[in-house]
This record gives sequence, structure tokens and C-alpha cells, in this order.
Amino acid sequence: MLPEYKTSVKKVDNEEKMSGKALFTDDIQMDGVLSAVTVRSKISKGKILNIKLPTLPEGYYFISAKDIVKENVCNIIFSDWPVFADKEINYKGESIGLIVGEDKKICLDLVDQVVIEYEEKEPVFDMKNSAIHKDFEKGDKSVLNDPNLESYTEKFQTGYQEQVYLETQGMLVYLDGDKITVKASMQCPFYIHKAICRTLGYPEDKVRVIQPAVGGAFGGKEHYPSLMGAQLATALVKIKKPIKMVFDRKEDISFTTKRHPSETTISALIDKKGKIRALDIHVSLDAGAYIGCSGVVLSRALIAATNTYKFDYVHISGDAYITNKIPSAAFRGFGSPQSIFAIEMFLAHVAKKFRYPGVLYKNQYLVETGDTTSTNGKFRDKIILKELIVKAKEMSDYDRKEKEYSKPNSYRGIGMSYFLHGCGFTGSGESDLIKAKLIIRKDKNDIVTFYTSQVDFGQGNRTTLKRIVVDTLGIPEDHVIYDAPDTDKTLSTGPTAASRTIIIVGGLAAKAAQHLKDIWVSGKEQEIIEPYVGPDYIHWDEATMQGDAYPGYAWGVNVVEVSFDPITYEVHVEETWSVYDVGHAIDERILVGQADGGILQGLGYGYLEVEEMANGEFRQKTMSDYIVPTSMDAPKMHTAFIDNPFKYGAFGAKGAGELTFVGGAPAVCIAIEQAIKEKIYKIPANPEYLMEILEK
Amino acid sequence: MNSYIPTSLEEALKILFEHDCYILAGGTDLMVQNHRSSGLLPTFKKDVLFTSQIEGLDYIKVINNELHIGANTKYISMIESKFVPTMLKNVFVEIASPSIRNMATLTGNINNASPAADGTVPLILLDARLVLQSKDNKREISVDDYLIGFKKTDRKPNEMVTEIIVPLTDHKYLWRKVGSRKAESISKVTFLGAYKTSNNKISDFRIALGCVSIKPVRSKQVESKYIGLTIDELKNKKDEIVNDYNQLIEPVTDQRSNKEYKRKVAINLLKSFIDSIK
Ligand SMILES: Cc1cc2nc3c(=O)[nH]c(=O)nc-3n(C[C@H](O)[C@H](O)[C@H](O)COP(=O)(O)OP(=O)(O)OC[C@H]3O[C@@H](n4cnc5c(N)ncnc54)[C@H](O)[C@@H]3O)c2cc1C
Repeated sequence: MLPEYKTSVKKVDNEEKMSGKALFTDDIQMDGVLSAVTVRSKISKGKILNIKLPTLPEGYYFISAKDIVKENVCNIIFSDWPVFADKEINYKGESIGLIVGEDKKICLDLVDQVVIEYEEKEPVFDMKNSAIHKDFEKGDKSVLNDPNLESYTEKFQTGYQEQVYLETQGMLVYLDGDKITVKASMQCPFYIHKAICRTLGYPEDKVRVIQPAVGGAFGGKEHYPSLMGAQLATALVKIKKPIKMVFDRKEDISFTTKRHPSETTISALIDKKGKIRALDIHVSLDAGAYIGCSGVVLSRALIAATNTYKFDYVHISGDAYITNKIPSAAFRGFGSPQSIFAIEMFLAHVAKKFRYPGVLYKNQYLVETGDTTSTNGKFRDKIILKELIVKAKEMSDYDRKEKEYSKPNSYRGIGMSYFLHGCGFTGSGESDLIKAKLIIRKDKNDIVTFYTSQVDFGQGNRTTLKRIVVDTLGIPEDHVIYDAPDTDKTLSTGPTAASRTIIIVGGLAAKAAQHLKDIWVSGKEQEIIEPYVGPDYIHWDEATMQGDAYPGYAWGVNVVEVSFDPITYEVHVEETWSVYDVGHAIDERILVGQADGGILQGLGYGYLEVEEMANGEFRQKTMSDYIVPTSMDAPKMHTAFIDNPFKYGAFGAKGAGELTFVGGAPAVCIAIEQAIKEKIYKIPANPEYLMEILEK
Repeated sequence: MNSYIPTSLEEALKILFEHDCYILAGGTDLMVQNHRSSGLLPTFKKDVLFTSQIEGLDYIKVINNELHIGANTKYISMIESKFVPTMLKNVFVEIASPSIRNMATLTGNINNASPAADGTVPLILLDARLVLQSKDNKREISVDDYLIGFKKTDRKPNEMVTEIIVPLTDHKYLWRKVGSRKAESISKVTFLGAYKTSNNKISDFRIALGCVSIKPVRSKQVESKYIGLTIDELKNKKDEIVNDYNQLIEPVTDQRSNKEYKRKVAINLLKSFIDSIK
């Protein structure tokens, strides 16, 4: 029996955060701490000929590539990003060095006085140099030779998106004895740990990463802190005094990683009745100057390209392009929001072409339990998408509204998106790459402590993971201790990313707790180290992109209703209705937090958040120019979950963090299309773009 | 850098006479403009005179059918005041957010002289005036004359604004602020149109447009062409009016919007204002 969790518990970090006691990176005080400020390149591509430093006052340092201890590379999935640009500059804003010293103000002034001579080269801003290409197909190709099919092609574009975590990037490093110790705003303590060990050539036990309170991440703190860690550790080895680097909002928006801009081309071969017989999808991602995690983002974008649908034949391909721009990296959804936006819009457009109302057209392609995935894997677990759709329609009064708003000049619209999210790392990544191991320990007083490397950056996993262990053991809550990660105490249970925390680490915690319970002897010290063992059916070949890409899938349906002002071209999101299958909801209130935040961020991606690049530089650099929805812009939101326990997740839970983001953009754009009776090919569908469409 | 926190106007004017100072009211423009980096105090290049403690500059009163607003009056006080007409309140409630409106002043909005300021649009439409004082002098100037360029005013270094005077009227009006979102939003276009009718004739007609030039655009010359027409005659001249304003405005592309959008929306709002006249 699964526990009934409609009543949620108080989050364990409520008190410390509401009272202001929680210490975030910049709150941590240390005697004699120095500040670090980055010297950044002012050109997009070229060679550094000469660095002319101002006279540095006593106690001020310049740290650069020449100070690298072992390897000038930042360890990210594909490690091509240097810790400090040595000779080559590949994007405007690239770190060339750090000025470190006691007074941040003086550091800032000194940074302004550094004069760098460059030999400028022609930068590439367009997507033309492919660094990674992937290609796969599924189904019977013979349909391509059918002369009776009509070909129909559309192209979709998505823009940059900025994470806008509340707390900007920040890191403090110091020596504890001879151990490099790091406290930072982060998602993945072991990523930072590894990056520092690699650049310094240090053994693992010479570096320690401790997580303080973290204010939001959304993927933005998955990789960038590794770069900061490698830089600051290099400085620490030389200076041997505590150093802190905290970004101002403007620096954070200007130079840290964003969501990959994309261009997706979809071509369909359609028969006389309007049925798609074959589909060709190509996704282009702008990786920016370094590849980093872009290959993995591309994989996810491609695997998700057919979304919740099946077609007789599909050919999916994609490229990640190197450009002389800020590197793109992780952001909630990790590639899938781009391709799911494209397929949802494409199907909505084909439906219009053949005069199908609303979602009727796309419903004929829905995958069902047992069907193959886009990569010829199998949807093994029960799919209840149709139930989600029925429920969402009912909640939103979709059919009536859809009909009513389709009348001319309604200036109102309703849109419905379907989406899925593969939980956990792609393919066999969990068993082969991450190899999570979780320690659970009991002392003589029967107090249980367990350790993970999962960061609670506000999403609530400290509460939920603890609850999983407390409930599995069936002991009082205050008999279980679960603190924030510290690489000296915990083994790696992997990064806080990929919607893997509850499905993978939660499952592991439940298993470890169950094993402890099985061998429980009161009054005795006991310890279990539980390794992750993936479902044995997962077989994945990254080279051919074939097999089971994920251990499990979470599903969702968003309905968004908008009104449109034909005078100002402004969109008002009136109301949303969402229904999710995240397996079994362990704590519904925490899930609603993810759902509300997720759809709002997804809506922002779809109709509001503009981040333009001009000459290798972002044009929107502040919170007043980079527009995220405020609470005044937030619509009334209704959210429901339908129970569908997943047998490998903790208490039946699957992932929910990213899923709730994915559907917002297509749903709002389909709604806007109905309100304006025109087609949208690009997000954000902001008033300037809508004016362009309507006045063309 | 020195900070001065005078408690009387006399003292403030003396300080301004002796020192070249920034005048800081609510600070919601100045603190942002002089922000250095996280964890650091803002760096002001000159001394700063804080007006918040000056006695007797925070008031709203009506004298001879004119609204007198003390220079230190915050938006929140004006929004809550029974003397302030709804036309102004409707503008003020859309500025920034509650926290900013609790701190910021209309005086600051005028003196910051941003093309995107909301508060100056109704002031120019209503022929509002400012009282400026220095140690030895006191003068009045219309807001329109005071705003002389992009972020430029007619203020002399030793002067400060002590009062805003707004003639009270009973115009019918249409106000629209078009920003990027519903709160905390710097405007892309603002529109305020006002009119009066008597015996089915237009007895007054005023238009002010924000964000489409270096300061709010208003032309009494253009307005006068349409005063005296019947409502129908005015509506029949919609194209001419549109044409007039199309020539007056010169929006530019910036990081918030583009000039095509600003122009189009300004004109759409103008048209909808004309349509709304009855
Ligand atoms: C988040 C945010 C949102 C905002 N949203 C809006 C918005 O929607 N619409 C809008 O119009 N503005 C907006 N602003 C800008 C700002 O809040 C307004 O311009 C406000 O009215 C400034 O008033 P203040 O009292 O804070 O001015 P301050 O910052 O104190 O001063 C502004 C200028 O006025 C001068 N000044 C102040 N008092 C006097 C005086 N007595 N005599 C002469 N000069 C003086 C100062 O020297 C300075 O140049 C926003 C600002 C922020 C930070």
C-alpha cells in the first residue's frame, strides 16, 4: 500500500529561510576574505597579444592561464571550455583572469584598468559550424516512395532564456589545513569537486565542497559553478587566503549560461485525408563558444522530438553548432522544450490546414502503453495520457471554449499542449556514468543519518527525501538526520538535475532505508552503502541513438486561456489548467510548487522573456530589461495529479521538476494563435512579434 | 563624498548653494544609477543631499482649484489622497510596484527626465508647473519647459524643486501604459488623451504621448486645430490627426522594444481614443 500524502508536511527549511537564519554564500563571513573580480574579453573572437596590468597594490593579485596548476580545462561533460582563456578568445565576456584583493571596489577599478591587446578575427554568430551531429530513424521507410503523399514543411525558432534564480552565482573558497574547501551556490557538489581536482591535478581527498543555502538554480548552476570553482581554486593555491566571488545580477545575466536557442525544421508527408505518414525533424541548437553539455542537450531534444506521438516513419536529426557567443548549457527541460514546442505547433498547424478543431487532430497519434519510443525503446509503464486529457478538458471547459473562441475577432484563445519528460540521465547514464551510492548509518541511540549529494535550492527535496527515509523506517522524524551535501561525508548520488532526484535518488534512499530496516538491531551502530541498480531492461546505444533512453517518463497536459488586446498586441494569460502523471505524488504541496513555478516559467518562455544577442552580447542585462512574469502576470492556476505509481521510483514517484516547465510555451502559443487567427513560428511570441504577424 | 541630511528647507538650500550635490528623494532612480556591484555601497561621484528629513515638503493641498504637491510627497500618499484626481492616480498605480511607490516621489520622476517616465505625461497634459527654489531665488516653470532634453532639465545646480502645481480639470480621458508586463515595468509607450465637450462641440482636446521622443510629446498647436469642431467633425478628421501625431513622434529602438512597435501602438491608442470620444 502506498501512503496517502494529500496532507503535506512543513518543509524542513521553512524556519531557517523565513527567519533569515539560512546562510547563503554571500552571507558567509570569514576573516581576511578576499574578493575576486573577473577580467573578461571585450571581443568575440581573436588572439590575446598582450595583457597590460595596472600597478597592483600590495595584496592584490592577477590570476590567469599562466597560474594554472595542471590542466587549463573546466571539467564539464565535454571538456573544451578553458578555465582561463589563454591565447584564443572565443566569446565576448570570456574569463581571461581574476583580480583578487581585499577590497572589491579596488578590484573592480583594477579590472577596468587592465588593457588587453587583441588580434581580432571574424566571429561566427550564425549556426553554421556543426560540432555534434546526431541522426536516427524509426519505422518503415518505404512510405517515402509513396507518390500520393504531399510534403509540408515548417520551421520554428526559440530564443535564449535566462534562469533568473533569486540568488546570483557565488562561491567562497578557503584552505582548511591543506584542503581546498568550497561553499557555493550550486546544483552539483561533485561536479565542482571534480572540476577542481582536474584543473589542479589534486586527489579527491584534497578538495571538499559543502553546500550552503542555495536560492534557485533551474540548471544555471549545473555547470557554471565548475568554472568558478576551477578559477578560484587556482587563485587559492597561489594566494592561500579565503576568496569570495559573487556576481552582481548584471554580470550574472550577461555572462553565465542560458537555454540553447534553437531552430527546428519539420517536414511531413501527408496523405489525402490529412494523416501524417512520415515525419522528418531536424533540430539545430546554438551551443555558443564551447560544447560543454550541448551534446547531451541535443540528445534530449531529439529523443523528445516526437513528444507524445507515434508516426509510421520518423527521421530525426540534429546539430549543435559552435558560435562565438556565451556558451549555452543546462536549463529546466534540457533541450526538450525546444523540440516539443516545435512539434506541438507543427501539429496544431497541420490540424488547421485540414480543418480539424482543437486537439482532435493530434489525438490520433498518441502513444500508448507498449508502443515504441522515438528511439525504438519501449514505453513499458502504463500510459494514462488519455485520462490526463479528459481531466484537463473537463477542468477547463475546453471544448466549449475552443469552439467559442474560434469565431472571428474573439481576441480570446485556448490552447492545449501534451508533453512528456524522460526522468533521469539519458540511457544507461545512471548505471554507467553516475553510479550513485547512498550511505545510510545508524548510531547506538538508533538515530539514523543519511547522505546524498542532492541540493535543495528551494524545490523541496530535502523535505521529500527525508520523508521517504522516515516513512520507510517508520521512525519519528527527529530520529532521522539529513543535512545538505558535503563531499567529505557523502558519496556521490549524482547531480541535482535531469528530474532524477526523487525517481532515482529517492528510490535509492527508500531501498537503503528498507535494507537498514531489514537488518535493524536496536542499540547497535549499523551502516549500509546502497548502490544504484537500474532496471535491467535499460539498453541504450548513444552512438546510434537506439534503445531505451530513460528509465521512466512523466506526462502532462496544460491548458492555457489568453485574451489579446488588438490595440497594443499584448497577451494576457487568464487562467491555466494542468494535469500531470508524476507517478505517485509524495508531497502534493511541494509538487504544486513545482507545477505553478514550472508553468509560469514556461509561459514566460513562450510569450514574454526576450533575450536578444547583438554582436556577441546580450541586449537585456538587468531585471528591468529581462522580463520575467511577476505575480501580477501570473494567471489563476489549477493543477491536478492523476496517480499512476511507477515501480522503480520512491513510493511510486517519477520526476516532476522539468516536466511542469515543458508545456507552457506551446500551450500559450496555440492559445494566442486562436486569439489572433494567425500562426506563430517563433518564441517568445511577444507583442512586437505579434504585431509583425498581424500587420504583415 | 559627503552626505547631507538637512531638516529644513533653508538649510537644504544653503547646502546646495555651497556644495555641488546630488539631490536624493526616494532614491529609486539614483540608487540604481549609481549601483556598483553586489555587496558594495553605491558610488556617488558627488556629495548627496537627502531630502527625506526636510520638514514641510510632504503635503497635498488644493488652492484655487490647483493641486499643490510638496516635493517630498510619495506616490503612495498621492494614491491615497482624496485631493488627487483619478486621472493622476490611474497613472501612479501603474508605476513600478508597491515597494517602489512607498519610497519614490513624482519630483524624482520629473527630475530624472527619462523619456520613459510615466509621471511626466499627465503633468505635461495638465500644464503642471514646478516651483524651484535656491538660497536667493524662487521661480515657477512649466514642466514642459523644464524638461529640455534626454535626461536634461532646466535646473540650476543650486536649485531644488519644492512643489509641483497641477491645475485641476474635469476632462474625460483615456490613459494607457503599455509596458512589457503588468508590474515593475518600464513603459514602452504611454498615451494620455483628454477632452471636454459642450453642446456637442469639442471645447478642449489634449494629447500627450510618452516614450516616443526625448520627453512626452504634446503640441498645443496641433490640438488647437481640433478645438471647436463638433464630435462628428473631429472623428471625420481621424486620419489627419493620426498624420499630425505620426509626424510629431520619433520613437527609437531600444532593449525593451522597437520603433515600429512603439509608433504603431501609439497611433492605435490615438485612434482608439478618438473612437471613444462621445
Ligand atoms: C524597479 C523599478 C521600477 C520602476 N518603475 C517605474 C515606472 O513604472 N514608471 C516610472 O516612471 N518610473 C519607474 N521607475 C523609476 C523611479 O522609480 C521613478 O522615476 C521615481 O519617481 C523616482 O523618484 P525618487 O523619489 O525615487 O527619485 P530619486 O532617485 O531620489 O531622484 C531621481 C532624480 O530626481 C532628482 N531629484 C530628487 N528630488 C529632487 C528635488 N527636490 N529637486 C530637484 N531634483 C530632485 C535626483 O537628483 C535625481 O536626478 C522605477 C524604478 C525602479 C527601481
